Amino acid sequence: MDYSLDDLMQWDEKIWDIAVNKYKLDPYEIEYETIDYYEMIGAMAHHGMPSMYNHWSFGKAFERTHAMYNLGMEGLPYELIINSNPSIAYLMRENPLPLQILIMAHCAGHSDFFKNNRMFKNTRPENVVQRMRAAKKRIQSYVEDPTIGIDEVEKVIDACHAIQFQTTKHGLRRRSQDEIRDELIEELKKAKEENDRSKQTKLELRLDTIPLEPDYDILGFISENAKLPNWKKDIIETLRDEGQYFWAQIQTKVANEGFSCAVHYKICHDLELPSELHLPIIKSHNQVVRPHIGGINPYHLGFHIFAHIEKKFGWEECLIAREACHDGSFIRQYLDEELCSELNLFSYSKRRNKSIVIDDVADEEGWKNIRDELATSVGGGSIPVILVEEVRRNGELILRHEHDGRDLDADHAHKVVDHVRSLWGDRVRLLARINDTLTSID
Amino acid sequence: MSVFREHKTTADRSASDRRRHKKRIEDALKQGIHGIVADESIMGQNGNKKFKIPVRGIKEYRFIYGDNSGKQVGSAPGKDIKRGQKIGDASDDQAQGPGRKGSDEKGEEFYDVEITLDELAQYLFDDLELPDLERRQLANINNEKLKRNGYRSDGIMPRLDRKKSAIARIKRMKAAGFDPDKAEEGETFPFHEDDLKYRHYKKKEEPCTNAVIFFIMDVSGSMSQDKKFLARSFCFLMYQFLRSKYEQIELVFITHDMEAREVDEEAFFTQYTSGGTIVSTAIELTREIIDKRYHPSSWNIYTFQCSDGDNFASDNVKYLEEVVALKSICQLFGYCEIDPDKNNLAYSYESGAYQTIYDLLQPLKGRNLQTSYIIKKEDVWKAFKTILGGVEKDGG
Repeated sequence: MDYSLDDLMQWDEKIWDIAVNKYKLDPYEIEYETIDYYEMIGAMAHHGMPSMYNHWSFGKAFERTHAMYNLGMEGLPYELIINSNPSIAYLMRENPLPLQILIMAHCAGHSDFFKNNRMFKNTRPENVVQRMRAAKKRIQSYVEDPTIGIDEVEKVIDACHAIQFQTTKHGLRRRSQDEIRDELIEELKKAKEENDRSKQTKLELRLDTIPLEPDYDILGFISENAKLPNWKKDIIETLRDEGQYFWAQIQTKVANEGFSCAVHYKICHDLELPSELHLPIIKSHNQVVRPHIGGINPYHLGFHIFAHIEKKFGWEECLIAREACHDGSFIRQYLDEELCSELNLFSYSKRRNKSIVIDDVADEEGWKNIRDELATSVGGGSIPVILVEEVRRNGELILRHEHDGRDLDADHAHKVVDHVRSLWGDRVRLLARINDTLTSID
Repeated sequence: MSVFREHKTTADRSASDRRRHKKRIEDALKQGIHGIVADESIMGQNGNKKFKIPVRGIKEYRFIYGDNSGKQVGSAPGKDIKRGQKIGDASDDQAQGPGRKGSDEKGEEFYDVEITLDELAQYLFDDLELPDLERRQLANINNEKLKRNGYRSDGIMPRLDRKKSAIARIKRMKAAGFDPDKAEEGETFPFHEDDLKYRHYKKKEEPCTNAVIFFIMDVSGSMSQDKKFLARSFCFLMYQFLRSKYEQIELVFITHDMEAREVDEEAFFTQYTSGGTIVSTAIELTREIIDKRYHPSSWNIYTFQCSDGDNFASDNVKYLEEVVALKSICQLFGYCEIDPDKNNLAYSYESGAYQTIYDLLQPLKGRNLQTSYIIKKEDVWKAFKTILGGVEKDGG
């Protein structure tokens, strides 16, 4: 390392000044920790969390990254920052100074995004580190409990991981059965007063079903309605909370990375760096925002959308977009024909004969289709929407896949239904449309 | 404002997670064994032969979109693309087209773990706790061996050590100040009786580490190919296990229908005849071969018999007599019954029930005679354990 922590601190001061005063960012304070590459792989396996409950899947993630890194197939990410207040970010000691400057500027963007984007409203960043630490302790105590043990605990965590992101859309708060019931009873009263017979009957029938309305938060529903020992309920609640915490990031990958790239690009420009620092930064920047041919690089797409917004509407609009949007709305609102064409976007699909064929190109006729496909499949759209439809009298839990033109993978669905069954403790059935046929998976 | 600090290096945080992950892989490996043992010829292979085992069970399942996942969007390298253009083939694994990303995400996380037979056996048998087994059933037979034990000045001529004797003579010659170069004609320095050194041998008890395994297989009409596969898995495990216990193992394969013959491994698993069954012939032949080639005083003898339980009722008494005689010279006689066909069995008039060889052998069960049965492939491991009398750690 040919620079000291003091050097980093001085650069950070300049970055911070530009971020806050020139670009009106409002980030959390950031705590940077310097680590080596091995610790970086460990931190990645734990999603950057300073403490994390034990689970074999993190070991698997570690081994995978480590192997890829050693084979030279994959570099390590430049930056790793978590959504907490203060934000915790890691700087690899192996990085040269220009890269650290780029990372710090990039982290200022992320931290601001975490603090201001509305998808992150319910993530409680002020105590996430403490929550995780407490969860680790509790889960460890279940592992050590001779009546429970590691195999049982792992089984529950495995199952929770499988449906961790089957949650309410766009981070909305889940309404409990009691809340909904009170509301329906209120409506029922009104209907009786108004002597509205048909409405009355409808409400009475609804009050007779569980759940009272379709529930997208499967872990939340199971935790509320299954008969569970306390330890199991605790693990389910903990992993549900974790899922919702990370859900915000899944939903905003393009916007979050795009915004942070826009921020680091502008700040590094404004720092008026000598060319021996600036050229390596430009090189790294170009590497990060290069297009992935045939696929979507969220850094590339997001960076160019923000650059486009600024060009068309000014920086103020960028700040509004970073506050209001998740990836779906971000793309629907700001990806226009001009940008679609500039980025050479196209849509494709697999045909029955297995060949992959281009459907639309970014011209006047096709760009809207491309925009809409992208808005649907990006971020949270990559996860199929499954809802709790009904609990039948015999205790069977009925799940349903909300079909949006894309079929579920039946193999995976089978395995996930097994997981749900182990949590629910009774029969579970998933209704899904696959190959235009209503399929029951149980 | 930001804070900077050196990361407090704690113990390797994910070490225990990695251990648990490793355990999962090992568990999955054990499940993969059926795939291997049903494969090619393995019994005679040396331990370094490598197998690829697809490891499952460590995949993390989530709801994902399947094959029919609609349209996807990607970036093109330039403008020269048009609607309807074919850009790849999903049936071609090498396709570098845009479909690749999608299939990556679907994530066929098969770990093809490459493993040698020795390692595989290690995995398998590590978890087996064999109470008293080694002491009891694998009790090494002691064998008297002559071991060199220094030199003595008396002994018999065949054990005369010329080199040592010559050295002793030269020593004595130097001490006497005799120089053959300066010696006068005819003057010599002959061997003295004290110069002669004889190799000394001592009788020593050495554990005998040779073992011979007799595999006996019923190849009569009722033993189908499926049954033979199950038998083969069972034999494979036994062979691997004993191989890890002995320095040298010889294998003898015997097949029988109405008469028995010694065959090679290939024929053992593939031979098929349509005749009836007289089991005693196989045991008889085993005893004959032991008499001729594997004397019980210098060989640990193991016999494993696989059959679907069928025998001519008239042969049952003879068979039992033969087994009693054989078991007295065996470390272990294991009988494994493979998926008996109830329609095809001898009717026992005494008990009024259909009787298989398994039933027949029950009264003889004891320290060195064990029985088990295999109906489906999951039973193979269980049968193996039953016959060795082991229990698995973790109660698994």
